[in-house]
Amino acid sequence: MKQTLHSATLDNGIVLLGEDLPGLESVAVAFHTPAGAIHDGPSRCGLATLSGEMMLRGAGDRTSREIVEVLEGSGIQWAQSVSTSHSSFAGAMVARQLPTALPIYADILRRPRLPDSELDNALQMVLQNLAGTEDDPAHRAMSALRQLHYPHPLGMPSEGISADVEAIGIDDVRSFVAAHVVPRGMIIAVAGRIDWHDFVERVSDLFGDWRTDDRSTVPIGSRGERVRHVPHDSQQTHIALAWSVPPYRHDDSYEASASLSVLGGGSSSRLFSEVRERRGLCYSVSAGYHTLRDCASAICYSGTSAARAQETLDVMLAEIDRLPGTIEEAELDRVKSRAKSALVMQQESSAARAAWIARQWYHLGTVRSLADELARYDQLNVASVEGWLAENRPAGLTIVSLGKEPLEVPREVSA
Amino acid sequence: MKFLHERLPNGLDVIAEVTDTALSTSIGFFVKTGARDETDAEWGGSHFLEHMVFKGTHDLSADEINRRFDWMGASANAFTSEEDTVYHAAVLPEQQLEVTALLARMMRPALREEDFETEKLVILEEIRMYDDQPPFGADDRCRATFFGRHPLARSVLGTVESIERMPVEAMRDYHRRRYSPGNIVLCATGAVDFPALVASARQWCGDWEPIAIPPRRVPLDARTTGSVTLESITRPTSTLEYAVRMSRGPAGDDDDRFAAKLLAAILGDTSGSRLYWAMVDTGRAEQASCHHQDFLDAGLFATQLSCDPEDAGELLAMIDTIYRQAAEQGLDRRDVEQNRNKLAGRWVLLGERPRRRLFDVGPEWAHSGDYRSVADDLRTIEGLSLDDVHRVLARWPLHGTGATVLAGPLPLDPSLEPASEAQ
Repeated sequence: MKQTLHSATLDNGIVLLGEDLPGLESVAVAFHTPAGAIHDGPSRCGLATLSGEMMLRGAGDRTSREIVEVLEGSGIQWAQSVSTSHSSFAGAMVARQLPTALPIYADILRRPRLPDSELDNALQMVLQNLAGTEDDPAHRAMSALRQLHYPHPLGMPSEGISADVEAIGIDDVRSFVAAHVVPRGMIIAVAGRIDWHDFVERVSDLFGDWRTDDRSTVPIGSRGERVRHVPHDSQQTHIALAWSVPPYRHDDSYEASASLSVLGGGSSSRLFSEVRERRGLCYSVSAGYHTLRDCASAICYSGTSAARAQETLDVMLAEIDRLPGTIEEAELDRVKSRAKSALVMQQESSAARAAWIARQWYHLGTVRSLADELARYDQLNVASVEGWLAENRPAGLTIVSLGKEPLEVPREVSA
Repeated sequence: MKFLHERLPNGLDVIAEVTDTALSTSIGFFVKTGARDETDAEWGGSHFLEHMVFKGTHDLSADEINRRFDWMGASANAFTSEEDTVYHAAVLPEQQLEVTALLARMMRPALREEDFETEKLVILEEIRMYDDQPPFGADDRCRATFFGRHPLARSVLGTVESIERMPVEAMRDYHRRRYSPGNIVLCATGAVDFPALVASARQWCGDWEPIAIPPRRVPLDARTTGSVTLESITRPTSTLEYAVRMSRGPAGDDDDRFAAKLLAAILGDTSGSRLYWAMVDTGRAEQASCHHQDFLDAGLFATQLSCDPEDAGELLAMIDTIYRQAAEQGLDRRDVEQNRNKLAGRWVLLGERPRRRLFDVGPEWAHSGDYRSVADDLRTIEGLSLDDVHRVLARWPLHGTGATVLAGPLPLDPSLEPASEAQ
């Protein structure tokens, strides 16, 4: 398949990435600034999220309302989000609207007003969202798992912690934006019906003279305890497990994620077959791969009624333990086929591709071509996956349960 | 982009929207059956059957089905609503024959008793899962009250009791009655080889025996859907209060349904709407939104609110005021223009993804026997005027009416009880 990828770096460090997707009418653009939740700081968990929200509340010569009116009135679907590593602003639109969108995003990123008068509303909005997550038991279980498993502050919830958010003042927000919303480390990715040279020119005009820098480093602390039960009055008990695997930039992350896909990636995976199909223990059960830049984890999840939760955990642990030494070629073929097919079909969405090429650059410092990526999947075989598993047996599990009663966890599993 | 249609002698419709530049092929079997077509003894049976379809045929095990989908690299799933049961898969074009054959064979499941009893446990877990999640059943309860004795009152999942007492024979009978070829549409979008699709349909579905299907449309009782009611579900451990309100709107065969969607966007889209600026932007509510939903013979506006429990009464009153002002003072042209562009932009983006188009093209044909291209819909959206939106507001006012259900930690506040003038 023919693929056209572009990249350029401005003098101030901003990386521009592009991909032509012929056949689409749309363009998606995403601005990933290095102002992620990792920079929240002590007792300020949620500062990146609140700052991202405040950046939309007036920028350049537009009020919050005018920004939304111009974007939506131009048919631009906009989104804003914060992850551990980035604070991101994105838009998807009919290609002809890109010249309207870019200057608005430039205002949001470079000229946010951050008005004191909007702080209380923005703060209440973040607190409302946090209260909503309190009512989502699966989200709470996964959030607790990440907090315990990753070294501090890598697993802290980007959406914040209520007590911390309530204490944030306008000066915190202004300092955070000034320090971390900077050109160096920023990625601007565009995909769809693009004119690359025109795009580079417009972005250079809007962002080329931006000269601030962030040299701060975040000290990485220790991880939390291995096993935790979160009491919650619900019919179902939620089980979340994690263990460490190599991050995406390590070449053997493909072997790691393939083995996890055999375990719990599709409807023919082992967890789905054994836990749901054969035993009818739950509605949802899965295993997947979650990566940050310098560390990554295998994550398994299931939710089931309290009376059957212990059996569900026991079966999940047995399947994890059984994985090394038992992978069959047919299983691996299915995993490869699913991954390759998903990669090709991603080409039909400009937003998905813009996100993908930015993710690749962040992790690898380059964008792999589709052909290279597909070839890497072809290299996977039983010997390579088993070889990796033999050296990296799942061990030292972090286990979180959320529900009425705690579960029995065999000591050796978390050792 | 072109549209193709062929009907098999047994009544099965085969349709496709073909996009030459697409990289994938999406295939769906749209069965015109759902919760509204169940009897009391079959409550939850459409959705339970959807699960059982994945448990295998007489010559295909459940494991084999799962393995084949994964082997093809298919993104496959199914869902059940009040009116439809849909089985779908997206694959690379070279898998079209294989995936069509697999889905077609699945439409004639074995429905083995042993599988039925195991899967029952999974369904019960699904019911418990949703019961633990917001809005804690408020949506199902609201629909039940709003529709009263109309078939659309029935919830899709059923209840723990209705599922536990259902015998496998009831499901077999339901399948025989409802999965008749004349009640099914085979729809494909993206890179589709249409002659091959029709040949697959003949090969795998040609011998399905047609059975007469009774008409589905049932007149709405205006007294039920027009009344004002208030109920509450108490969840002591819930952090927020969740409210769902339903009031009448245009049905799926009403030309005003597009204007109704535009009105809902102006009033209560999840961003940039009147409810958004009044409640979400200010941090008063976690969510305050309104959308229009249409069925074969009915339509409704659903308003959803989540907020601090103490604020629920005040915010519900505020929503009613916003709706009343819209009706009494009218909207302005800028509202209409901005939201028309917003909907059009959304439509173009969704329209260029064949995997997403399947869920527009399939249901449209299943419900109305019509095909509408993205360009048709865009023309309709772009032609909507302020008068159209005002007409919808006049025909189906959103204020001072509707069924409301609250779910949250507090007992029902008596001051929220509907005023006598509205009853």
